[in-house]
Amino acid sequence: MTELIVLSWLLPLFAVGLIPFVPSKYKPYTAAVFILLGSLVSGWLAVSALCGDVTNTTFYAGSFLGNVAVRIDALSAWFILIINFTAIAGAFYGTGYLKAYPDDAAKISWHWSLYVLFHFSMVWVCMLQNGFAFLIAWEVMSLSSMMLVIFDHHKIQTLRAGLNYLVQMHISVVLLTVGFIWVYSQTGSLDFAAIGTFFRGNPNTGLFMLFFAGFGFKAGFVPLHSWLPHAHPAAPSHISGVMSGVIVKLGIYGIIRMISYLHADFIVLGEIVISLSVLTGIYGILNASVHRDFKKMLAYCTIENIGIIGIGIGVGLIGMGTGSPLMYFLGFGGALLHVLNHSLFKSLLFFSAGSVYQQTHTRDMEKLGGLIKSMPKTAVIFLVGAIAIGGIPPFNGFVSEFLIYCGLIAGMQTGSIYLLLLMIMVLAGLSVIGGLSVLAFTKTFGTVFLGQPRSVLPHQPHEVAPLMLVPQYIIIALMLTIAVVPQFFLHLVNDVLSGLSPVLALDPQVATGYSNTAAGVGMFSLLLIALTGMVWFIRSRVVKNRVSAFGNTWGCGYGNPDRVMQYTGKSFSKPVGKTFYFLLFEKKVYKELKPEEIFPGQKRYDSHYLDFFEFNFIEPFTKYLIRGAGYFRFIQNGRTQSYVMYGILFILVMFLLTMFNIIP
Amino acid sequence: MLSFFLILLSAFFFTGVINVTKSIYTGRKGPGILQPVYDTIRLFKKGSVYSTTTSFIFQIAPTIYFSTVVMAMLMVPFGQSKGLISFNGDFIFFAYVLALGKFFSIISAMDTGSSFEGMGASREALYSMFAEPAFFILLGSMALLTGQTSFQEIFATLHLGSPISYALAVLASFVLGMIMMIENSRMPIDDPKTHLELTMVHEVMILDNSGFDLGLIQSAGMLKFSIYGALIVNLFIGMFPYGYTIPMFFAIQFGAAVVTGTIESFMARFRMSHNAQFIFALTSVSLLIFFGVLMLLGKFI
Repeated sequence: MTELIVLSWLLPLFAVGLIPFVPSKYKPYTAAVFILLGSLVSGWLAVSALCGDVTNTTFYAGSFLGNVAVRIDALSAWFILIINFTAIAGAFYGTGYLKAYPDDAAKISWHWSLYVLFHFSMVWVCMLQNGFAFLIAWEVMSLSSMMLVIFDHHKIQTLRAGLNYLVQMHISVVLLTVGFIWVYSQTGSLDFAAIGTFFRGNPNTGLFMLFFAGFGFKAGFVPLHSWLPHAHPAAPSHISGVMSGVIVKLGIYGIIRMISYLHADFIVLGEIVISLSVLTGIYGILNASVHRDFKKMLAYCTIENIGIIGIGIGVGLIGMGTGSPLMYFLGFGGALLHVLNHSLFKSLLFFSAGSVYQQTHTRDMEKLGGLIKSMPKTAVIFLVGAIAIGGIPPFNGFVSEFLIYCGLIAGMQTGSIYLLLLMIMVLAGLSVIGGLSVLAFTKTFGTVFLGQPRSVLPHQPHEVAPLMLVPQYIIIALMLTIAVVPQFFLHLVNDVLSGLSPVLALDPQVATGYSNTAAGVGMFSLLLIALTGMVWFIRSRVVKNRVSAFGNTWGCGYGNPDRVMQYTGKSFSKPVGKTFYFLLFEKKVYKELKPEEIFPGQKRYDSHYLDFFEFNFIEPFTKYLIRGAGYFRFIQNGRTQSYVMYGILFILVMFLLTMFNIIP
Repeated sequence: MLSFFLILLSAFFFTGVINVTKSIYTGRKGPGILQPVYDTIRLFKKGSVYSTTTSFIFQIAPTIYFSTVVMAMLMVPFGQSKGLISFNGDFIFFAYVLALGKFFSIISAMDTGSSFEGMGASREALYSMFAEPAFFILLGSMALLTGQTSFQEIFATLHLGSPISYALAVLASFVLGMIMMIENSRMPIDDPKTHLELTMVHEVMILDNSGFDLGLIQSAGMLKFSIYGALIVNLFIGMFPYGYTIPMFFAIQFGAAVVTGTIESFMARFRMSHNAQFIFALTSVSLLIFFGVLMLLGKFI
């Protein structure tokens, strides 16, 4: 096992050294091969951990860190496997995606070296169980992903998004560091096990909320989400796919890891997490349904799914508090399964959106339309992703949402009226999220792929290369596997969960019952497909010899419908925007027509939606921060003499302080 | 199994009864009760006209829409006899399967690139989104009251409670009845007989469908009526013997159709801009049921 662990960091580092010296054409393949090899190594460790052979070693890392624990338990294993799958798919897709960019060897070298490093750091985040070593891996992960986001660094928007991401990730790191130091000051150890010791002897809520906020930045819980809608559109699509599919899930990993050490206050924390998550879900999907940049829309949709995962976690926490193993298993089981599911369909959606972007060079869906004719495969892939992400059978999203629903309903048997009220509200909230995601994705799919082209594109879009399609087909295959045999994945998740909390053991009979129900859901999904196939067969048999006529779309008697007369995505989602005007601010920029303008010239009308939290809280805060910082600008005046004077002043102060024994 | 045939049978008459009711109120002779069925059969026999803008989505969507409705129909129980598909939490599957059909009917409307159909699609998406929480709170409260999570067990256990549970059932049938109107786009949410494309919801979405596909959509609509009617029936029949429940089934389905026809004869459609609020208000009725359940269980006061 130790050799494998050594190999798992040696391989990526070797690759990072090697990639710059490989001919430009082979750089992506080198990276992909090394990621594949690294994934095999860490995947081997993960699979053996899932089979019960938990890796548990320490290594000595200098006098400061001391002995660093490396553990791969079932929870780490689950996340490592998800990371590996998405990273491999992303590497192969990215190889095709970046071909469209001009051949710049240095840029490509940087990109793929960083990608390998990024994958490596994510895997190690799941393996390290020493506070500071964990933070180092976490930091490498944040920095490498930031560098990957700013691939198009000549665009000011991209740089701004990268900086935004960088700053927010460091606020998160500060919170996490404070958390680990707090534990260290109380227990004298940086090992994760010390967190358990801390929770046994101290109040739990404070430290947990600190960690929750720290990891919540990464995961994108509202109101800590505002980096996602900037970073995801700015990044190249394979990076957005991997970031949205995996990196935000590491926030979830952190939260679940902290929960595994939690000792008390489960119900209060569960209530906080679940309420925040419902808000996150509804807020995310509301924004997703109004934005016209389709990658931004997908980013908001990630926030929504984090909300769904959070609901699962909240149900699980309440289950731990009320001593209900059923809720524990359904809640966390649904959450963990949704982590897997979301990593699949979100990377799929980002990849297919990337294919559209590569061919059309625009992310504005109002400029697109009718792409299903020129890019039929991409359209079908996006459609599959869109159905799955709405939690609609016969795809995998339904399975995990079903488990969470069942957890909520099981939670209604717990008794306390407050919990009952909470559960019914969350149930309603989850159903609204489901309904809104149908709206958001029919809008996006309909506007981008259906109808007629809404504008003249710089060149005719074509279907993308097979190298980009094959990873997406593989993702779809895995999604269908989950949808058809969910019981297998449910068993895996149950193994992960029984490792986490040995106290709450599920009654084997109930477990079998749910496993059967899940198997039933899989079977009925198949039945639905079969039924559709049958109706389709009958239909095609019946209409085979009929005459079909072709003509224009019905235009209310108008015989010459034009592409600009189509219903736009903006008008499709306008009723939602109007109904939820208090959350979705629309900013309009236009000049009013004056009475004396008898022959008005060309006018410009600009409207876009603003993020509620960013506009109302974060922007005013940063504005005041910058204004406050401005008062101290005189210190940084650029004159060398002043800086020498600061040095002398500092030495003088130090000297005086020590002389009068104020500091020892 | 029994429910499957009963729903199928009542679907033949449901729309016809509505039309006859309406013609009686307006003093017309009106078409026969089976006229909608004849119309649909004729559609099945016809060829189709397709818009050149459309893609294969437009062709498969009616098929998927129809099969999701059939799938949902398989899940509805009848008293103590289960539906063909029944498992714990099947009402979640029920709602989401119908959502799949809605998804496809919406994108098929957008596939035509028309200036009207997107409007209907947008409204359909919005209204069904607002109707979801009412349905889930209703079924959630029933699950709480009965301690069961599948349609059949919920309905079979429901009538064993006190007479108050029948009062709740009346409220619940109001909610289900309104959801039926929303799902089938009838008054007061949508006016199926309007002449202006701008004011339609469902009818405008299927403007370009014709022939076999339109037949599938129409028959799915009839089935949907009958499915929701059957759900309402289930609230009341409980464990009575079949000798009573089967006549009750037809009586209640007939009643539901007559009420629908009456509403359509005497009411005007709500303003489009207020529909969303109205539908969302259904959620509060569902919450009333929830509080009623809490009272029954003695958790409240």
